[in-house]
Amino acid sequence: MNPEDLKYHKEHTWVRVAGNKATIGITDHAQDALGDIVYIDLPDPDASIEANAEFSEIESTKATSPVIAPISGSIVEVNEELSETPEIINESPYEKGWIVVVEVANESELDALMEAGDYEKYVEEESK
Amino acid sequence: MKVGILGAGPGGYVAAIKAAQLGAEVTVVEDIEVGGTCLNRGCIPTKALLASAEMLAKARELDKFGIEMDGTPVPNLEKIMARKDKVVGTQVKGIRGLFKSWGINLIEGRGTLLGDRKVKAVGKDGSEQTLDADKVIIATGSRPAQIPTFPFDGKNILSSDDALQLRDIPKSMIIVGAGVIGCEWACIFRELGTEVTMVELLPRAVSTEDEEISETLAKELKKKKIKLMTGVGVDSVAVGADGVEATLPEGKKLTAEKMLVSIGRAFNSQGIGLEEAGVEQGKRGEILVNDKMETNVEGIYAIGDVTGGILLAHTASTEGIVAAKNACGKDARMDNSVVPAAIFTSPEIGSVGLREFQAADQGIDIRTGHFQFRGLGKAHAMGEIAGFVKLVADKKTDKVLGAHIIGPHASDMIHETALAIKAGLTVRDIAGTIHAHPTLSEGIMEAAEDLHDEAIHMPKKS
Repeated sequence: MNPEDLKYHKEHTWVRVAGNKATIGITDHAQDALGDIVYIDLPDPDASIEANAEFSEIESTKATSPVIAPISGSIVEVNEELSETPEIINESPYEKGWIVVVEVANESELDALMEAGDYEKYVEEESK
Repeated sequence: MKVGILGAGPGGYVAAIKAAQLGAEVTVVEDIEVGGTCLNRGCIPTKALLASAEMLAKARELDKFGIEMDGTPVPNLEKIMARKDKVVGTQVKGIRGLFKSWGINLIEGRGTLLGDRKVKAVGKDGSEQTLDADKVIIATGSRPAQIPTFPFDGKNILSSDDALQLRDIPKSMIIVGAGVIGCEWACIFRELGTEVTMVELLPRAVSTEDEEISETLAKELKKKKIKLMTGVGVDSVAVGADGVEATLPEGKKLTAEKMLVSIGRAFNSQGIGLEEAGVEQGKRGEILVNDKMETNVEGIYAIGDVTGGILLAHTASTEGIVAAKNACGKDARMDNSVVPAAIFTSPEIGSVGLREFQAADQGIDIRTGHFQFRGLGKAHAMGEIAGFVKLVADKKTDKVLGAHIIGPHASDMIHETALAIKAGLTVRDIAGTIHAHPTLSEGIMEAAEDLHDEAIHMPKKS
């Protein structure tokens, strides 16, 4: 199940807020739909991301998909472990498979995101 | 008929054999080694090195394929180079054998035109002779272009020729120019363990290819941790005790143990008597020819790189055949309309015909079809799923105009589409041809189907 303490974006990314920092990754639904992940094109550690814009790309054995930023911010940390072992995302999308940590640029963007329950309904709707 | 040929590269040696087959008495003057750049300093030796690099890549992946190994594979450049030299040596012997079999006279030395279709040949041993030929074919080729910013020293600032002589794997390397040669070398050295940074003045790598090909290649280079900087020139280079330091615009510096410069080719048209013979040259020093490979001087032909056309071994060979036929009294013309190209990066690139950006420039209404290799069972079985097949077709007539493949064995796969273009076939002709399963070529069939939104192994388009 999707953790209750996270916020979710319609492009299947999640945000975990702690102070003014936010950790971002893709959802369990996203990793499941992608299948075995073989590569992730990680953003530069000194880059910024912009809400609703692509900031990374994931390649699986099935497809190549953009990763859409749920919020805006400047990157403070990139999960470098994913560059050698991207399959961590499949195994642990909400914990070890996080992609970046950003400094939140605009807190109001968080309000536009979904709670876990709403996201689940959204996924159900989408897959109908 | 006496035919004299200057140069025994893929243009000259093929011309020599063809002329001999047509009954001519053929003399070839070659000042380095038969096979020319292609065999001695280009296509073949780099493919031999690439084979070693790919073997290493596979060895590093053994675990993924369920094979256990004691220890780790370690590349030994001296041995890799020795294998390369052996491969080249075998091919050189092969050409020499063909010459012998066809009764072709090979003079090892330097040939110069004297006018009146006379050729002076100065042998490596200093002996001098003058050949009286009825027809002369100039096939002197090209060499790595050098500009004052990058003075080749064979030690720190290298040409592609020098790179073939390395005996130790450089720890780091700056490659100037991300064209075909630069990208191929980048993949080889990276696999061997070199930290590679490429600097390209143009906005993208392999800029003559379709834009989507460049895009995917850039991604694949990034996966290998090859740093590709585009739209950046190198202002100056300094050689120090630790290697080279390149200065980029705005004072940014790059340092590396070696620099490889691959910014183009210069034509071997100097010092071969073109002026004496009255042979006309273009602005870049290339020899001007018509589609019969004739120069402005009757009886003198020119072929291959020195004519400044498409700098590929296979066009040189084809031009050699055209020139030889014409020299021997036949009427042959060069048709450059369909020339496939192969780039041996990893993954490989194969391309032919119209690029999408050219269609826009030329006002041709097109449709494109794509298929990703990751949609093929064979690609998964091989463990090589990166890349795609792209077809470009005339929207009205459905005729295949171009094909662009990046992925495993792209260089071999491209010919099906080259034949389709040459024969004026349609995309439906390709889609309607049964392709064996499981093969990579199914990707071409699926891309053809996709062009009409009919691909079987693709999700429904929304």
